[in-house]
Amino acid sequence: MPKEILKVENLNMHYETLTGNVDAVKDISFTVLEGQSFGLVGESGCGKTSVAMSLLQLQADNAKITSGSIKLDGVELVGMSESELRTVRWDGISIVFQGAMNAWNPVIKIGEQIREAIREHYPKKSKSENTKKISELFNMVGLDESIMDRYPHELSGGMKQRAIIALALSCDPKVIIADEPTTALDVVIQDQILNEIKKVQDLLGLSLIYISHDIAVIAEMTDQMAVMYAGRIVELGPTDEVFKNPKHSYTKALLESTPSVVGEKVKLKSLEGEPPSLIDKQSGCAFAPRCPNKNETCNPTVDMELIEISPDYFVDACNASNS
Amino acid sequence: MAIYILKRTYQLIIVFLLFLVLSYLLFNAIPGNAFQSLLLNPDLPKEAYQRVLETYGLDKPLFERLQLYIINFFKGDFGYSYNYYPKTPIDLIAERLPRTLMLFALVNVVSFYTGFIVGKILAWRRGSKSETWITITSVFSYTVFYPWFALLMLYFFGYKLGWLPIGKFIYPEKWYDAPFDSDVVFITMIKFTVVATFIQFLAFIFTRNIESLTNRKTARLVSFVLLLLGSYFYWGSGSALEQRTYAADIAYHMILPVFTVTIVAFAGTALLTRTTMMEVLKDDYILTARAKGLSQKRIRDRHAARTALLPVVTSFIFTIITIIDGSVLTETIFSWPGMGQLILQSVTQEDIPVAMATFSFVGILALVAHFLADISYAYLDPRIRIKSQG
Repeated sequence: MPKEILKVENLNMHYETLTGNVDAVKDISFTVLEGQSFGLVGESGCGKTSVAMSLLQLQADNAKITSGSIKLDGVELVGMSESELRTVRWDGISIVFQGAMNAWNPVIKIGEQIREAIREHYPKKSKSENTKKISELFNMVGLDESIMDRYPHELSGGMKQRAIIALALSCDPKVIIADEPTTALDVVIQDQILNEIKKVQDLLGLSLIYISHDIAVIAEMTDQMAVMYAGRIVELGPTDEVFKNPKHSYTKALLESTPSVVGEKVKLKSLEGEPPSLIDKQSGCAFAPRCPNKNETCNPTVDMELIEISPDYFVDACNASNS
Repeated sequence: MAIYILKRTYQLIIVFLLFLVLSYLLFNAIPGNAFQSLLLNPDLPKEAYQRVLETYGLDKPLFERLQLYIINFFKGDFGYSYNYYPKTPIDLIAERLPRTLMLFALVNVVSFYTGFIVGKILAWRRGSKSETWITITSVFSYTVFYPWFALLMLYFFGYKLGWLPIGKFIYPEKWYDAPFDSDVVFITMIKFTVVATFIQFLAFIFTRNIESLTNRKTARLVSFVLLLLGSYFYWGSGSALEQRTYAADIAYHMILPVFTVTIVAFAGTALLTRTTMMEVLKDDYILTARAKGLSQKRIRDRHAARTALLPVVTSFIFTIITIIDGSVLTETIFSWPGMGQLILQSVTQEDIPVAMATFSFVGILALVAHFLADISYAYLDPRIRIKSQG
């Protein structure tokens, strides 16, 4: 059994706004094993990115982690001071950002931006050592070494994204968070980038958290996955099992809304209604208004709660009996 | 890039010609001429007045004079001053320019530097109490009526406290037996400042290649100390030693104008920097920089402020253009006999050759500054570099 590299327990985070608190992350628990990838899927605004930002505590100033714990390799991150967090950022957990287009500073050369990260965490390394490291990374992600002396605007979208992966790897982090790394790219480049991430992961034995709204990508990339809805995890388990036999009505709906290339032609289904606004304090089942499987035994005033139905497989209690 | 520069130069020449013709016509549109006051003397015969006009070529029709002036201008002949005959406008500018340059170059550098630093701290500390108060103070000094404020400063520091001299750029009594002109000292001071700045700039560029940040900091500190030592030895030897006391006298007279103009001028830069930097802080790469674990100071200076520099540099270059004509007010209030006073005098007394020469000087400065602005953009923002090539 590989060791647990990142363990998140009962994490709660909200944004304080003028109209009230937005509960973006509610009672989230999951574990990432060393060398494995963990997928987080859900529709836009369900709190996926908020989870990612909470891990490094990079949220906007109005965000507060109210309770819970995040343990990276046994070290508690919640409650760390800013300067302690700085040592964890990039060295412990690094992020491949959503929009590679804007993740680079337009006026600094690519090489210098990577060098800067290494310099921050390993100040003793010499210039030639750093250059060597960066060219190794570039080779790994399929970029030419000369990219180092280029400015971000001189690169194509795919190249920028590859360079971002190199940047994320530059300090040999324990965990990499890939936050929708392919959303802004066309399908061909998407596929290339995904392969690149996979290859690098196998090569370096990285632990990966992959965040996406694209369930197909999650299926391809991850070993474990969690489905999020309205700030909560509604189903969590090995990816194969979740795909073969989804338990939760929302997961089912999500799978049914994705077209499949193989098999019979079926009409795609979509859920009625919209996800709830997270700003109103809701009690009870957030999914109840849209749930297609409502019946007499279902009680919408009961909060969602995950229960373990088989080893390492958790699902919202209300839907546990569905199969 | 070369084609781009050529194109721009061609445009500059045409604009300058238009500028020259228009200003000549405008000056001649002022009723009367520089010698009309002679007519007030009843003992002066009409013919004598006519002869004066002939001497200066003022009897010719306007179009002919314009033609002559433009041709002579490009031959490098700017005529003679009506009021300071036989001095030429060039003599006058050569005498006045160092005084204005020294004062206003210093004012501009100081006010932009403080403005940029204040602005960047304001944006960084957005929402704090100190931010609110400094912003309010900046808006006050940005909008204050400048001559009133300058008089207030003169009254307070010059008269009430008596710390600083009121007006003039030297104490004349100290200069009675000075072996040289004040211009010589001014030029030495300007040379020294330019060289020192250049050395500091070079040191900055060279130390950029040092990988370790602590070593880089030490190297920069050492270079700064060396520069200080160097300047100490410079002023302690050779011709500079003789000029030292006189230079100190000028520097002492410069304190109050520099201080006053800085207070008024820094606010604009500070507010501009604050606004642009707040935009930049929202950008994604600031999040990347934070995620990389960089220190707050480094994110602020290297990532946010560096990108926010562009509009600030624009406004800096356009302020350089206004050094000379903008100096009119300051020089009048502080009785600083520089270019500003020369412009004012020549216009009010219809000393057309001098007025034309000073205005063309300002015009050339403006055009060159615009030109430099375009080139410095290309340096600061690599994205522009590509566009101008294509």
